[in-house]
Amino acid sequence: MDATVFGAWVATGLTLLIFSFLYKDTPLFKFAEHLYVGVSIGYTIVKTYDTVIMHLIVKPIVENGEFALLIPVAIGMLMLTRYVPKAAWMSRYAFAFIVGMGSGLAIPRTISSFILKQVEDTIRPLLSMAGPDGLTFSMNLLNPASNLNAIIILLGVSSVLFYFFFSIEHSGVGKAVARTGIMFLMIAFGAAFGYTVMARMSLLIGRLTDLIEFSDASYGRPTLWLVVVTIGVLVVLSRRAQREPPQES
Amino acid sequence: MRGPARLFSPITDHVSLITVMSFAERMLKIDRRIIFLVIGLCTLLPLLYPVGLPIKISSEVRGVYDHIESLPEGATLVLSLDFDPASKPELYPQAIALLRHAFKKNLRVIALTLWVSGTGMAEQIVTQVAKELGKETGKDYTFLGWSPGGQAVIINMGQDLYSAFPSDYSGKPTKGLPVLEGVRNLKDITYLVSLGAGRPGVEEWYVFGKDKYKFEMGGGCTGVMAPGLYPLLRSGQINGLIGGLRGAAEYESLIDQKGKAVAGMDAQSATHVAIIVLVIICNLFYFSMRQQKSVGQG
Repeated sequence: MDATVFGAWVATGLTLLIFSFLYKDTPLFKFAEHLYVGVSIGYTIVKTYDTVIMHLIVKPIVENGEFALLIPVAIGMLMLTRYVPKAAWMSRYAFAFIVGMGSGLAIPRTISSFILKQVEDTIRPLLSMAGPDGLTFSMNLLNPASNLNAIIILLGVSSVLFYFFFSIEHSGVGKAVARTGIMFLMIAFGAAFGYTVMARMSLLIGRLTDLIEFSDASYGRPTLWLVVVTIGVLVVLSRRAQREPPQES
Repeated sequence: MRGPARLFSPITDHVSLITVMSFAERMLKIDRRIIFLVIGLCTLLPLLYPVGLPIKISSEVRGVYDHIESLPEGATLVLSLDFDPASKPELYPQAIALLRHAFKKNLRVIALTLWVSGTGMAEQIVTQVAKELGKETGKDYTFLGWSPGGQAVIINMGQDLYSAFPSDYSGKPTKGLPVLEGVRNLKDITYLVSLGAGRPGVEEWYVFGKDKYKFEMGGGCTGVMAPGLYPLLRSGQINGLIGGLRGAAEYESLIDQKGKAVAGMDAQSATHVAIIVLVIICNLFYFSMRQQKSVGQG
């Protein structure tokens, strides 16, 4: 059997086994789920071993004599001392190195990229200079750089920050500002949820597109055959479950 | 009572209200598998019988397209395929469309991935499109594969690309590859696009790449991630964003080579309409039940 055709049968079968969860949690779904986890971990281990151990450590040391690589290897090996209780303290040096280096790299860059740049973008002029004539105010909601959007962003940021400011009671004017903050938060959650729905539907479209493609005769019509088999197995499992007496809790 | 007078009888009104309410209650307790079936049919039918709804190009997708379009022949494009098969339906069409565009423009493509679980798929995507457009590995493009470290790889590439990737995916030494001529580190590249399904992805490429080594950058991402990346887009930190399957469909339309993403747009629209209708119906039933309770209490 051609590898592509075999791949089509495997992909179709596993997709249908996973989809069986939409009916109910069945052994078919569990089998596919466990297989997925196992294959993912196995693939990751093999690729990591090949890339890291063989290509980035063994080959440069053996072929090019890059013995300086033994220093990071030694630091990495210290991690494994976690499994030897008496020597576990040594792993702290490796963790200290990772935490120190990671923080040193991440903190300044994150402050620059996500705080300073975003603050700079939030504080935009509410009115624009329009040549020598004077000031203008652009109302275009679709233009992210319009003055109206600058005001909306300013209102949103201020009211949401105020909503999370718990040191004073949210009453009177404060209550109105906090409520405005909640409204902005709700709009943000709604937008995020809308995009999430779109993403999930895209995944479904992806699987169904493949199932349609694999219903072609050139693949041996795995979709049609395996749909029948999956439904048949679900019926058998369902009947067997009905015959079995309910388990006592 | 006859005619219209009967219709407005308070007793009949109450009875019909109760009937409607119990219907609402039944509908709110409907077996969820029926909803799955409705969504499944709304997805499947447009895929089988496409309508060809128009696709409007958004400014964020056009940002990436226009920038690639403006690049001269031989410019260097780094394409980081930071996703795995779990995000294939959304990011695979984006990658295919971007590569087709880059190869048609005769750009030098340097592809890589920061996700170990996506290595095989990334290599397959690059090789497939290169073969389709007659491009030669090592000369027109290279796939560097995966290197461990995530953000550390980006920093390493910023200092010395050859130390981060001493060899390409096939094991050929990267030093001396014609496609990498004149490229020592990230400062020497013309444009970078990260197609990310999480971390490391677009944000890491910006924070540890663009912000430090000052090159132009665009992004592509799954639909779930898109709202979180819009602030980077608005502030000009990235010059374009391809979001989800929709973004991929827009890009396919821009390069005039319609593929899987465009084919999925009818289904996407149909499911969105179905979900909106379901949300409206559920709310109507919910408020009907509340009214029923208040009538019962009164």
